[in-house]
Amino acid sequence: MTAIKKLPFAALALVMMFTTADAAAQCRTFTKKRCLPELEDYVQNDNYNTAVLIPGDEAELELTFFGDRAYRLLVCGHPVLGDLTFQVLDSRGNGIYDSADKESDLFDFRVANTQQMTIRVQVPETDAVIQHEGCVSIMVGSKG
Amino acid sequence: MKLRHDRFQLSLPRAKWMAFPLMLLIVGCGEGPSEANTEGAASTSQEADMDVEGMMPARRQKAFKKIFHAVPSPIETAMLLERSGIQFDSDALHGLDNAVGYSTTELQSVNLGIYAGDLSYSVIFNQNQQSVDYLNTCRRLCDGLGVGDIIDADLISRADNNRDVRDSLVDIVTDTFYALNARFRENDMEEVGGLMAAGGWIEGVYLGTRSLNTSTDDLKLRIAEQKMTLDNLLGLLNSYEATPALTAMKEALAPVEAAFSGVTITENAAAATAAEDGTVIISGGPEVSYDEATLAAISESIAAVRNQYAQ
Repeated sequence: MTAIKKLPFAALALVMMFTTADAAAQCRTFTKKRCLPELEDYVQNDNYNTAVLIPGDEAELELTFFGDRAYRLLVCGHPVLGDLTFQVLDSRGNGIYDSADKESDLFDFRVANTQQMTIRVQVPETDAVIQHEGCVSIMVGSKG
Repeated sequence: MKLRHDRFQLSLPRAKWMAFPLMLLIVGCGEGPSEANTEGAASTSQEADMDVEGMMPARRQKAFKKIFHAVPSPIETAMLLERSGIQFDSDALHGLDNAVGYSTTELQSVNLGIYAGDLSYSVIFNQNQQSVDYLNTCRRLCDGLGVGDIIDADLISRADNNRDVRDSLVDIVTDTFYALNARFRENDMEEVGGLMAAGGWIEGVYLGTRSLNTSTDDLKLRIAEQKMTLDNLLGLLNSYEATPALTAMKEALAPVEAAFSGVTITENAAAATAAEDGTVIISGGPEVSYDEATLAAISESIAAVRNQYAQ
């Protein structure tokens, strides 16, 4: 009898496991097809900074950028999440760049001195009755 | 034992419990075509894929903050070493034959990172045959870790055919290790991913510090700056649930961290300015100072931890 009672929970756990793995695999496919090509001739950092996010979520990445090197920062999200915004902060938390007033999800820049910077991404809130989750990827490429 | 009939009648709450997994199953099965099936598809079908691929009805309501931890890739570190004027030193690389002796997940993971460092170093310095050999060695360790499909015979063949084209090899290496990192994340193999990242970082600093007495000032500065990437690495390792292997790695890195404490980083504000050609330049930021004794200590401590794992 106990086993019968636990059946729905076991089924739920099993299905959640599969859907989570499925979502992760979908994110990898999404990132490979939709985001990676945007890096063009920049050599991608091979870190996998991709997550499934919902409206209102934030994501943050701290990384060291090397001096005298050019970088492309790409914040790539599924269109269902709306227009993502992101900021680049220096090691003291001061804002260096804000995408809010730009129309691009790319930020190309060169770093004069090696430094740690933080990329902070926001998924906009929505009033939609049915909320969707979608893949968001923070990609960093470098060259020269 | 007799089962009462009413236990098999679904009350509304029970029906919800049964319906919820079923609903998730239906949603989960509603994904678009697989990666293999959709690659190279016509643009019209790609647009159709967008509706289902990479999104689904939200499974949670409460917003959260996702923190990513990342370290520079071995290729990025190898490029940094090359630009700093370092000379290629094949004697510094980890022996290819050693790979057969790593039987534990811990040693396979760390040494996959170490070999990834050597592979990247070989690729950047145009050591073509050596690059293919190191990729093959990485394949062997991937097999042991259960992710051998990522470095398959086709990939090795592609690398072999492109051995004289550095940019192609760079793409192959970065795509491969990106796929590995993704797989480790998807399959809850964070320990493996963390140990591999640590191995790659260790090997990069190890290779950079083999000839400090003849190094350029630029290379010395780059080595000192690795204090920041060590901070990134420790952030990554600390973000994972502690395991004996991760704890052992953090303990092994403690003397390296102590050696880097001799590097002083003075924080200053950074600012973005536009150059005449429109390029945005981020200037300012931290000032890094160090002395020769600190570099020697870093060199010694990194060799100790590298050789501890790469026996």
